[in-house]
Amino acid sequence: MAAFPGRALRGAALSLLLALSGTAFAAEYKEAPGLSELVKGGKLPPVAQRLPEAPLVLSPVEKAGKYGGTWRQALMGGSDSLIERSVGYTRLVRWNRAWTAVEPDVAQKVDVKPDGTEYVFHLRKGTRWSDGAPFTADDLVFWYQDVLMNKELTPSVPRWLRSGNDPVIVEKIDDVTVKFRFTGPNGMLLENMATTFGSDILAAAPAHYLKQFHKKYNPDGIDKLVAEAKAANWSALFLNKISFPGRWRATGRPVLDPWQLTVPYGGTTQVVLERNPYYFKVDPEGRQLPYIDRVTFDIMGDQQAIVLKAINGELDMQNQRLNGLETRIVLAQNRERSGYRLFKAQPAWSNAMCISLNQTSKNPVLREVFRNRDFRVALSLAINRDELNELIYAGQSQPYQAAPRPGTALYDAEMATQYTKFDPKSANELLDKAGFAKRDGQKFRLGPDGKRISFAVDAATSRRYQIDALELIKKYWAAVGIEMQVKTIEESFAFARMLANEHDAMVWIGGGGYDFLGVLDPKWYFPYENQAAFASAWGIYFQNPNDPNAEEPPEAAKRQQALYVEMQKTPGTAGQFEVMKKILAITREQFYVIGTNMDADNYGVVKNNMRNVPELMPDTFFYMTPGPTNPEQYFYE
Amino acid sequence: MLRYMLRRLVYTLGTLAAVSVVAFLVIQLPPGDFLTSFSAKFAEQGGSLDNDSLTALKLRYGLDQPWYVQYWLWISGILFRGDFGESFEWNKPVSELMWDRFGLTVLLSGITLVVTWLVALPIGIYSAVRRYSWLDYVVTFLGFLGLAIPSFLLALALMYVFSRYFGMNVSGLFSPDYVNAPWSLAKVGDLAMHLWLPVFVLATHGTAALIRVMRANLIDELYKPYVQTARANGLGEAELLFKYPVRVALNPFISTIGWVLPNLVSGAIVTSVVMSLPTAGPLLLSALLAQDMYLAGSFILMLSVLTVIGTLISDLLLAWLDPRVRYA
Repeated sequence: MAAFPGRALRGAALSLLLALSGTAFAAEYKEAPGLSELVKGGKLPPVAQRLPEAPLVLSPVEKAGKYGGTWRQALMGGSDSLIERSVGYTRLVRWNRAWTAVEPDVAQKVDVKPDGTEYVFHLRKGTRWSDGAPFTADDLVFWYQDVLMNKELTPSVPRWLRSGNDPVIVEKIDDVTVKFRFTGPNGMLLENMATTFGSDILAAAPAHYLKQFHKKYNPDGIDKLVAEAKAANWSALFLNKISFPGRWRATGRPVLDPWQLTVPYGGTTQVVLERNPYYFKVDPEGRQLPYIDRVTFDIMGDQQAIVLKAINGELDMQNQRLNGLETRIVLAQNRERSGYRLFKAQPAWSNAMCISLNQTSKNPVLREVFRNRDFRVALSLAINRDELNELIYAGQSQPYQAAPRPGTALYDAEMATQYTKFDPKSANELLDKAGFAKRDGQKFRLGPDGKRISFAVDAATSRRYQIDALELIKKYWAAVGIEMQVKTIEESFAFARMLANEHDAMVWIGGGGYDFLGVLDPKWYFPYENQAAFASAWGIYFQNPNDPNAEEPPEAAKRQQALYVEMQKTPGTAGQFEVMKKILAITREQFYVIGTNMDADNYGVVKNNMRNVPELMPDTFFYMTPGPTNPEQYFYE
Repeated sequence: MLRYMLRRLVYTLGTLAAVSVVAFLVIQLPPGDFLTSFSAKFAEQGGSLDNDSLTALKLRYGLDQPWYVQYWLWISGILFRGDFGESFEWNKPVSELMWDRFGLTVLLSGITLVVTWLVALPIGIYSAVRRYSWLDYVVTFLGFLGLAIPSFLLALALMYVFSRYFGMNVSGLFSPDYVNAPWSLAKVGDLAMHLWLPVFVLATHGTAALIRVMRANLIDELYKPYVQTARANGLGEAELLFKYPVRVALNPFISTIGWVLPNLVSGAIVTSVVMSLPTAGPLLLSALLAQDMYLAGSFILMLSVLTVIGTLISDLLLAWLDPRVRYA
């Protein structure tokens, strides 16, 4: 991680900086014209006083830009995470653009003790909140002592901030240095901090603002505030101020983000954000970011309405809610008319549809059948993925298992393509050999109980492609004597069934993909949690062995779970990937999930005159698309 | 009459109490709760919520309590403090959210209702009186089309046409420039520019249906002996028509007033969703899908109250119009 020296050292360190960023450093900071007006009018301190002593010098994607303009986007419904991703991606450390490493953000530097028990964050001296108040170590201590350690606000400390059962200990070393200490190793702190978790810390950090809502600091006035907000109690009020999506529901919350709310996200009106005059980043020419003045979000009720906005040129840069094959076609058709180009938003997971046969199903016969590896392999071989690709994915996809994407560090060609070749003959032989040779009058195979093997696959009504693909797969499987029914159910209902381990089989997008997605969300690689639909009960066991729905997994899965615990204790990407490879070797062998086809790339729109938007970005909540591509350096030509 | 009214009022209160329990139970019926759908939404966007956050949220929203405790918290809040609870999805008091939407909903439904009646009644009367004329055939054809085309589809098609070929901003009730502006003459103008499309879409179905009903009712009346008698007595055609058969034909509309009120809230939900209208319908739908129970429950309760009150009003109106009802 690069460190930027303080202002006092600037002259001496110039050559070092040149070496670091490869760009010249301006002696004078510059600011947006609107802010200069305010400074002249005495309403704002000059830019040099608003920036930290060592602002983050951001190298742009293409070139240094110019100030001005409004970035229009659209949200769907009342809790769209896009707002959090596109204007709220600021944390102590963040993902780099390529999603291959963690890099500094608000923190200038992090020292990690090699055993993963201590992390020392060096903040930038002179960083300020969007209201001008200084951001210091005390803010992080407030978050730690009065939010994280407050039982009313945090009944249980999140797993990523624990090692074993012991929560993190946060200590102030000086005004700009904070130490996170664990009783045992916690190797993934920085990676987790770069995801959505990181913003939970900074949202709960502005002590000077939050103290009024905290019982400890405002024991007399708090009841009045609670009554005014019609909140149930003080903790509900406080949590609404700091957690997603509540923190976007009101203005006034100081942020370190490039823009700050002026019209909140609530009800029907458009959400508006204006530039944060205290933002801590500059471009290589010393101009304070962000380039773009304002950001607006229209709130829509329907995905098609957002697509319509996009093709009409009413969205300046957005990919959220624009996925799907038919959407891509209309997006491409209207490019010239509406003056936008497309960028690739690559699904970070690998598979358009993973079929999970629940090995911990409540039906004892199905459970026995699904646990037979040959059965799963045979069903995989029975699927004609090339035909699926032509009929469902317009030829844009390719046969793929639930495996890391090509070009990643964890990529394993065999794992990605094993059993994807259409081979009904071998499938039949395998099924015969596996003990399902007997058939009934309609040529369907019989299970160990002497009755026909027949099961339903849950599919969410909102995923039309998956339902279409399943209908074809039903045919393929019938051809090898296996009866399957497609059960389309409402999404959250399907989800509820899976969480309670009530499904026999289900389909969902997923399957690893990008390295960090697989590392942070390994539910497709081993029974990690209840969302590991191929064995929910084993996954529940990993999270909590005492849960009534938990079941002890077999040896191989337990070994994977142990390895994952080991990885969580390993600091540094290289070491983590080494352990991850061991886990994946077992996944390949176990073949838990039947993958179908790789999820084709989606596209987002960006106005022709908006620059510095990368042509390709991973698309997932874990990457927080498009946050890590630095929207603060997007600009209009 | 007074006795009749009192009896109706007592029934009404009993119905409302039962409805509040049912409304709450209905929302509790599907498996899972707000948090299940919250994490499903995360998973849909490729994310994942860890168990600790879920447990924390569960405690925060009181979802770990049995349903009757949750019901009591909710209903006692409404009865004793007028507090409808907090919406989980929006992190706001439910009452604030509902009133936010109510104004525009009433405006939109009101205008739609007026337009529907203004268009449908004359056409209905005309096509009954001039039955089997060519204009009647045209109107009948259009009427069936209007009935057959689902409103949301019409909305999508019109939105595409107006946005693609006329470059209009077709979703919502305001242009982006005016959404957050304070009320002014220009904003009212902007609203008017946006209002006609939803009104047209929403009114199409109702108008078509009303034309058919009016036509059928009136034809029933037109050939009754009293009309012949009146005509034989030398009453002018226009006066005869509007004084007697039309008035009788209008009677069934009185009893449907009960449905007009709840329609304010739940009418044409899909259309409103498609057109991103800031009315109550889409909010109700998203509350139901998200299992945002206090918001959805309060909405269903409001709907029931409106239906019950509407029925009461139309009962009273009918009783006033038709003495036979009073003594039944």
